[in-house]
Amino acid sequence: MPGAPVLDEIRIIIEDIGKGAGNEPPSGGDGDKRRRPDPPSPRRYYTGIALGIVSIFMFFMALASAYLVQRSTSERWVPLHVPPILWLNTMVLLASSVTMERARKRLSLADLSGFRALWMVTTVLGLAFLGGQLAAWRLLVAQGIYVATNQGSSFFYIFTAVHGAHLLGGITALIYVYRRNFEAANVSLSTAAEITSYYWHFMDGLWVFLLALLYLGK
Amino acid sequence: MVTSDSGGTAPETRAHGFLGRTFCNTDHKVIGLNYLWLALFSVFLGMGLSLRMRIHLVWPGAHIPFVSGVANTPEHYASLTLLHGSLMVFMVLTAAPQAGFGNYFLPLQIGAREMAFPTLNLLAFWATAASLLGITTAFFLQPESGLTLWVESVALFCVASLLSALNFSVTAIDLRTKGMKLPRMPLTVWAWLLTGILGSLIFSILFAACVFLLSDRLVGTYFFNIPQVLARSIPSSAPQGIPLLWQRLFWFFVQAEVYVAMLPCLGITCHLLSTFARKPVWALRAVVFALCGVGLFGFCIWGYHTFESGLNPYAPPVFATLAESLGLPAVILLASWLGTLWNGKIQLTTAMLFAIGFVSLFIAGGLSGLFLARHDLGAVAVSDEFITGHFHLVMGVAATFAILGALFFWFPKMFGRRLSEPLGKLHFWLTFVGVYCVFMPMHWLGLMAHSRVGAGNPVAAAAAGATVREFITGATIVTIAAQGIFLFNFLSSVWRSAKAIEKNPWRATTLEWSIASPTPFDNFGRAEPVVYRGAYEFGVQDVAEDFVPQHLAPEEVAGKAR
Repeated sequence: MPGAPVLDEIRIIIEDIGKGAGNEPPSGGDGDKRRRPDPPSPRRYYTGIALGIVSIFMFFMALASAYLVQRSTSERWVPLHVPPILWLNTMVLLASSVTMERARKRLSLADLSGFRALWMVTTVLGLAFLGGQLAAWRLLVAQGIYVATNQGSSFFYIFTAVHGAHLLGGITALIYVYRRNFEAANVSLSTAAEITSYYWHFMDGLWVFLLALLYLGK
Repeated sequence: MVTSDSGGTAPETRAHGFLGRTFCNTDHKVIGLNYLWLALFSVFLGMGLSLRMRIHLVWPGAHIPFVSGVANTPEHYASLTLLHGSLMVFMVLTAAPQAGFGNYFLPLQIGAREMAFPTLNLLAFWATAASLLGITTAFFLQPESGLTLWVESVALFCVASLLSALNFSVTAIDLRTKGMKLPRMPLTVWAWLLTGILGSLIFSILFAACVFLLSDRLVGTYFFNIPQVLARSIPSSAPQGIPLLWQRLFWFFVQAEVYVAMLPCLGITCHLLSTFARKPVWALRAVVFALCGVGLFGFCIWGYHTFESGLNPYAPPVFATLAESLGLPAVILLASWLGTLWNGKIQLTTAMLFAIGFVSLFIAGGLSGLFLARHDLGAVAVSDEFITGHFHLVMGVAATFAILGALFFWFPKMFGRRLSEPLGKLHFWLTFVGVYCVFMPMHWLGLMAHSRVGAGNPVAAAAAGATVREFITGATIVTIAAQGIFLFNFLSSVWRSAKAIEKNPWRATTLEWSIASPTPFDNFGRAEPVVYRGAYEFGVQDVAEDFVPQHLAPEEVAGKAR
């Protein structure tokens, strides 16, 4: 059968999903069945954050596609000029991703105090970004542009608010990782930091995407 | 540095106190049962609403005891449909087969001690319960504020479903016990996994639509064109809203939502048919691909609901082809069900009857679906009543049959007792005949609306239509009355104290039947189950009984055979 090797490969790939779980049972007798089960591996946190990111991605894609549809079909689209402070905010957020990676690098070198300092810097940069977003809102309000002024402004406020809410979740995770004592926890500090970093970088990239959308859509 | 684990491990002690056991318990079994209670309440409330609609449709002036005083205006009559639909689709069809049975039996069937994220699970349940409260309360408010509350409740339901879907996917991917490779997973687990993935994709879309709608209603933005916005003093720059945008987001969700409700039911049906026909699932691998196909096509065919509202002219044939290609996995499933039944030693338990009833309804409803998938035919040939008949038969009733089959099947494991079989069979036959009498004539009404016979003699057609509608209402009353038998059977069995019955009354193969009934609070205890084979080893030669459970080591099988 010509297709057989391909099918075999697919089968191997399928069986490989979720490595560890579903391994071949040990051939030895009953001894294995009675021992106390191992604590589950932290792999589910990685799977969880990956699926969560896909879910959130779909949510923002729905918002973005609505924006594209409205912009191209609306007869009275009023362009919105993004406040220049957004560029500064973006720099702050991108910098936070860099400091976060440096923090994790410190952690991998077993430099815990260095990790904690850089992790705190990341948190502060995240908060600074949110403050900057609020400042952008105030700038728009000062120009008389409110959420219900026109479609462009509605989208701007909704995008920034929803992204801000998600980022606030990320900041909560950052503070949790900073304060939590991982001695008695179910995951290690490095795992928690790694999972938080995936979410944080995703939020970072998402913001760049949203900004590009808003900027190019003016 | 991994030490202990709050989730995924066996609870060390039982929860204390009634409140702790019922409301703050992260045990997947308790949460699963709570979802089922929620669904039971919703399904009877939803049926009551449909009864009221049918009665008022045929006898508009009829005085119904107790409810006539409540909300007797045209607006409230219209909201009956909304409440009926949202209760049935969200709280029954989405919640029961996935969150209800899935929460209880997914960890048991894969040999896990808990769901992946137990606290998240509890949160999802309470968000669902709050959403049910909100949806029901909205009905009693003024239409404007009621609708806002309804949208908020649906948004909350989206969040709950996202959390739940995440939990299901991760549990099925990462918490499988030793030996439970993907090809050995029961089809129910496959279905719960695929539904979890599909749910985590589409509930985000509905949530986004809800965010837009709420922002329109609460802060006066212009995403969709709604009367509230028109009534405001419109600034010169205000554009016209675009209902099409709402339709796109909404149908993107709804079409896939059908499969979120149906996939677990398909898995349950495969499982029950194999168990009670005492035969392996025919073409198991093809069935797995078919289930994946249902999920994939279901995700892609959203566009076919927007044929009439202005798509790119090339799009309708594409979507129609995609929609019709759903027939392929459907046919594979159907062939597998018939192949499984063929030459099987069929045991007609109530659970099996409901599974076969599902197959019948799936065929009956699916055939009209093929007809509706034609982009150039559906809209011109039939009226709404055809579509109402179609989706109630294939989505509503078929899924309910799968839920009931699952309930009769798993009841001993959940409560340590069996439901009464004679009462169950009486309930099945009354319901089976009843639902055909309700929904088949609706197809006919839908066809008649555009037929030449009706156009030639409208008076005679209207009279015939009225007779058919009276018949449907009569059948509805009888069918709903028959559910009293089920309610009595269920509640009387639950309230009688549980007695320990045999572990495996149905002689089934999957892991949940390897432990005591009702399920001990710590599932498998300290022993970690090990899986040695696929889930459908029925009709095996040279063993003591005609099946080999998944957890039995090869040496034990050989020992028993001797």
